[in-house]
Amino acid sequence: MIQSKTQIDKLGEELKNDTILFTGYLQLDEYRLSFASAYQYVFDTIVQETGLMPTGRPAKTFFSIRAKLQREKTRLSQMQDIAGCRLICNGIKEQEHIITQLTELFPDSKIIDRRENTSHGYRAVHLIPKISGKLIEIQLRTENQQLWAETSEKLADLIDPMIKYGGGETEIQKLLHQLSDIIRRVENQEIKRITIKVKNAIVAVDESDSVLEEDLNVYLRKNLNHISQLNEGSEDRRKVG
Amino acid sequence: MTIFLIKYDRKNGKLLSIQPFSKKDRENAEKSRLQFELSELNQGTNTEVVILEAKDKRALKRTHRRYFEDLSELTK
Repeated sequence: MIQSKTQIDKLGEELKNDTILFTGYLQLDEYRLSFASAYQYVFDTIVQETGLMPTGRPAKTFFSIRAKLQREKTRLSQMQDIAGCRLICNGIKEQEHIITQLTELFPDSKIIDRRENTSHGYRAVHLIPKISGKLIEIQLRTENQQLWAETSEKLADLIDPMIKYGGGETEIQKLLHQLSDIIRRVENQEIKRITIKVKNAIVAVDESDSVLEEDLNVYLRKNLNHISQLNEGSEDRRKVG
Repeated sequence: MTIFLIKYDRKNGKLLSIQPFSKKDRENAEKSRLQFELSELNQGTNTEVVILEAKDKRALKRTHRRYFEDLSELTK
């Protein structure tokens, strides 16, 4: 049985360096299962107290844990997303409302807001409560943030895992960043409308933001289709190779 | 709530299988996942094996689209 952080991190190092033995994988499984009750508490609290229906992932896969350890400087005992859940919100207004609700339910949560400071274009809000010493990650994404994240992950699956982390083909990165920025603009317009409503005042929309959301959505779909075509091109190149 | 054991072929972006378990069967789902994961690691394939918990399959399809949709469906 793993007891100390030192033992956990040693296991992480073995996994990272591919020197882990069969018994090590069993210990690693035991470690990730040790998050079960904290995960269940967070999941059940969200369902019972908010009526929302998250999708939970009680344990990160060995593959993903290893990839993260190899990619980042983090140690296994510091990893914040061994267990967690995801909620999709209908727009930025609902996202803000859910953040408030969850902050009240889990007041000491660490909040990582990736909406302005994106992670390679990834936009979302992550709340990380600590329950009985275990960190549980709650991902909150709007439908548009979700569309971007799923597209990026799918491209990483099909073409290059580094696409998710700012690597891979330059043209794909460029398009993903453009799309992320378009979604940011659409969502900022939504925030502006909320602000206008709250202030109960008539405020003229800036000329620079005068593009209608509908137009941005058309642009968004067009560019996502372009990404799709780029992937088909990559597949053809792979077949020829 | 239902527990789903998902096997997904990363390289081809295809869902290989999805097996539902009741909450009472969580332990069996976890044992199956571990068995598959160890087997995949041995074989060195590119299959992701994950347990997700959701209200139903429809809810799962909303939060984890990439397991169910190809790129053209995602970008429709």
